[in-house]
Amino acid sequence: MAEERYPINIWVNEERYEKLREAGLADLCEEMLAGLKVIRVYANDAQKDKILKAFPTAKFDSATTKSIELLPKDVKDKMFDLIVQKKSVEILDEFLSNY
Amino acid sequence: MAEIGHGGKEIVERIMEPSEAKEKIKGLKQVPIRSQIANEVIGISYGFFSPLEGFMGKADLDSVCKKMRLANGIVWSIPILFDMSEAELSDYGIKEGDSIVLTYQDNPFALFEVEEIYEYDKKEICQAVYGTTEDKHPGCARTYAYKDKFLGGKITLVNRPKINPPFDPYFIPPLEMRKRFKEKGWVRIVAHQTRNVPHTGHEWLMKGAWLQTYGELSIEKPIVGVLVNAIIGEKRKGDYIDEAIILCQDELRKAGYFGDHNHMTSLTFWDMRYAGPKEAVFHAILRTNLGLTHHMYGRDHAGVGTYYGPYDAHKLLESVKDELGITPVYSMNWLYCPHCGEVTSEGLCNHRDEWQKFSGTVIRSIVMDGVKPPRLIFRPEVFDLVMECAEKYGFGSPFVTDEYLEKRTPVFSVEPLE
Ligand SMILES: [Zn+2]
Repeated sequence: MAEERYPINIWVNEERYEKLREAGLADLCEEMLAGLKVIRVYANDAQKDKILKAFPTAKFDSATTKSIELLPKDVKDKMFDLIVQKKSVEILDEFLSNY
Repeated sequence: MAEIGHGGKEIVERIMEPSEAKEKIKGLKQVPIRSQIANEVIGISYGFFSPLEGFMGKADLDSVCKKMRLANGIVWSIPILFDMSEAELSDYGIKEGDSIVLTYQDNPFALFEVEEIYEYDKKEICQAVYGTTEDKHPGCARTYAYKDKFLGGKITLVNRPKINPPFDPYFIPPLEMRKRFKEKGWVRIVAHQTRNVPHTGHEWLMKGAWLQTYGELSIEKPIVGVLVNAIIGEKRKGDYIDEAIILCQDELRKAGYFGDHNHMTSLTFWDMRYAGPKEAVFHAILRTNLGLTHHMYGRDHAGVGTYYGPYDAHKLLESVKDELGITPVYSMNWLYCPHCGEVTSEGLCNHRDEWQKFSGTVIRSIVMDGVKPPRLIFRPEVFDLVMECAEKYGFGSPFVTDEYLEKRTPVFSVEPLE
């Protein structure tokens, strides 16, 4: 069985979309919720637990979307910048090494 | 004409005029109360909790626990209790038969005629009301936090609370609310219980319930309304701030998604117990007293964790429906279907593989990122107002923070008795 993976939704407004386009990364966006753009960074079980522990406001939405929600904005901003810098959504190991 | 509330009893406000109050409370012992008790004093004295006239005595508590009824047989599901410790009782020298003055924010608030001082097993209360004794259930936690003695007796408000802006227009007690409904010419009104800033899923819950409530009535004139009744009580970090909840709910009317002819927003002071089915019955009682005829219930109404099944509340409501003065309206969830290109009910659309469900948590996460969701999901006027509330009332955040808890203006103030 494949390991369960849980998305972190980084919501993309025009400002973020512009940065992605400039970096040639517009393809990373998926559309979710009536066309709202999102980049999804996937966490495995261990990463999920680490995130929920490091950021007490964060919540695992087990009922509806099975995603990790309510990370503070500055945390999402840092993740987003790392994605642009690394040109990939595989950033969690590096990101979490600081916590 | 008498206004009849829950249990077929007339709703009577238990409020003394200030001139009389000043005389009556002279020389009485003064006991400060916490916010939960202050909220309940308002609930009792304005008739939100009719037919209760005060905090429960042992016979009522015992009957509520064992039969979900007051001692007089009227359906009642949540204990309304006043607690004190043995030490406090002896420090203040309070005994049965005394009248005392309850103070809030250091000013006289209510007269309490202590008829009875008693004990009751808190575990038994928890098992009866919440169906569990686990202290991680927030209702049990609240019960275990009671001190060891309970005081029963009548409450009379001696000093009306001053409701602070922006909440003041939304505090509409039962007798006043019933007048407003008559002025509007509404013959059916459906309650929407909330502690949320509305996304379109909530908006459609209300619209769907309005349609269900309208039923066979004539459509010549608008005669059915939705009453948003926001619960204002203890806040937790991460909740929407109260100001954003009440103003954004009303914004749905102001921005034209509803109108004066079918929508009104109000508040009730109450600290949620998350008692699921029992809380659903309590909400029915509250809204009966407010003059409503119908009440919306979704799945797992007022539940928490996995303590209650999604339809437990509906079953309990059914079991006492002949004794409740309000008709339950059951709601299915609404979601976005890209195929339909609209928000639709899960009971209607069959593009199941394409459904995009959205929870309050996901919407909060979008708002937290400062991203404006599409208007089909979240109304732009509501988004702008949430952000405005964050600046104006939330110290930069639309969600409750430590700073908000510490520095916010209280929803109501009790001022010196003039
Ligand atoms: Zn569809």
